Amino acid sequence: MSAPPLSPNVTDDSLYANGIPHERFAEIRDADGLLWHDYHDGGFWVVGRHADVKTVSKDGKVFSSAVGHTNLWDLEADALEARRSLIDTDAPDHTRLRRLVARAFTPKNIRRWEDTVRDITVNLLEAYVEQGEGDFVEAVAAPLPIQVILTMLGVPVEDSGYLVELSNFLVEGTSETQSIPADAFGNTTELRLLPFNSPASHALFEYGERIGELRRKDPQDDLVTSLVQAEAEGGDRLSGSEYRNLFHLLVFAGNETTRTSLSHGAMALADNPDQWQRVLDDPSMIDSATEEVLRWSTPVLHMRRTTTEPVEVGGTHLEAGQKVVMWYASANRDETVFDDPFRFDVGREDNPHFSFGGGGPHLCLGAYLARLEIQVLLEEMAKRNLQLTRLGEPVRAPSNFVHGVLSVDMAVEAKP
Amino acid sequence: MADETSDGVELVGVQVNEDTCIGAGQCEMLEEDTFYVDDDTVIAGVIGTGMLPRDRAQKVVDTCPSRAITIVEPAAEEEQ
Ligand code: HEM
Ligand code: SF4
Repeated sequence: MSAPPLSPNVTDDSLYANGIPHERFAEIRDADGLLWHDYHDGGFWVVGRHADVKTVSKDGKVFSSAVGHTNLWDLEADALEARRSLIDTDAPDHTRLRRLVARAFTPKNIRRWEDTVRDITVNLLEAYVEQGEGDFVEAVAAPLPIQVILTMLGVPVEDSGYLVELSNFLVEGTSETQSIPADAFGNTTELRLLPFNSPASHALFEYGERIGELRRKDPQDDLVTSLVQAEAEGGDRLSGSEYRNLFHLLVFAGNETTRTSLSHGAMALADNPDQWQRVLDDPSMIDSATEEVLRWSTPVLHMRRTTTEPVEVGGTHLEAGQKVVMWYASANRDETVFDDPFRFDVGREDNPHFSFGGGGPHLCLGAYLARLEIQVLLEEMAKRNLQLTRLGEPVRAPSNFVHGVLSVDMAVEAKP
Repeated sequence: MADETSDGVELVGVQVNEDTCIGAGQCEMLEEDTFYVDDDTVIAGVIGTGMLPRDRAQKVVDTCPSRAITIVEPAAEEEQ
């Protein structure tokens, strides 16, 4: 077989210093078939078109999440095992684990958290308005999702500062540099066996065990209780290691992602005052504005799968055991699906974005929670007639995986 | 012949595969009179008449993340 055509480089973190390198993805979408990307521990197929991402995402059997890793690089077998959570499993394990947490997150059931989300949002927003200006990430985008998920899990408020701190160290673990030593928090586990190679994961596991123990003795109406009860039923429901990893995933997964979406959303509204005016004039636009914020922000740039058998995607033949990477960042700007994809349009009618994944079994568990958070924030901003103005460029986290914003200074004022 | 509503829209049946449903609740959100996710099992079931206009049935089939929903062709049912 002749060598497949090579993709432009889209993995160097430096390419993301000023945002997503969209021209490169346009080239990838334009190519015949799929392009091949070199990578230090083995190359991968680059999937950039919306339709092809959907094909890969929908078929969890041919495109496995359990083999290798769901990030670009492979993990050694023992590390993969130790770190495995919902996100790196295939059916039937995936089906069993997902059902244990799915109930609280269905679109219908997530609605019962609306008041909680609103209280948290209003508190943060009012403090920010009081302040008048400052870093939007620190004031609103970061605390909002973590406070919500900790409330849902049942973590007592007095511990939430500690967990926020841990989760910030984890966010840091997605980049090359870590500011804490390997033995921080009394960690003795080899870092490669911990999620994000971070000693903060050890601390989060320990905390999860501790609160799990409390809820076993004294059940409450919260997510930790429902997890430990599933664990207690034994059999094949939930093992101890699965519980720890699931607790960890729930604390982390919704955290940086939602923060990213809220931050990009706020920037887009500040940069496009005409679009924000449309929302103010017609609050029924908040639903479509929420979806547009999600498409626009694409917090997770890609996820990887590994083929379990030979298969054809986008006209290209793939062998078994090959890495396949779905670039949501590219699919969300696919000009064959989205009219004028580089326009931020709060009234966009047909918006099948892949910010929560391409519609397959790993579809983001927290999708309706994240939507609720964005929607409530927009509602509360609109209610107060708030106008955001940028005071400078954002500080970005240059990463090929998350579309991170570390900070962005803005002014906020209530318009007369 | 497929079932029809009074204004001639073709109706088809839908069913959920209990082994593969992951309880994501997309079906319930799209068609709340036809699907219901059980709070204990976290598996979707079909309620009501279990019949939907073909285009709406196809939309739920396409949206279900675990491909757990299938269309039951009324004609095929009769042959069995
Ligand atoms: C805007 C915010 C969010 C974005 C953009 C986002 C994005 C994603 C994406 C792309 C995936 C798919 C992974 C794959 O295909 O392998 C995913 C999975 C997941 N997300 Fe989110 N997420 C967000 C918020 C949340 C929240 C609030 C939670 C809260 C619990 C959460 C929990 C999860 C979990 C547990 C999974 C794994 C699901 C599975 O493997 O079955 N996410 N998310
Ligand atoms: S959409 Fe599919 S996976 Fe989700 S509850 Fe309905 S049948 Fe189950």
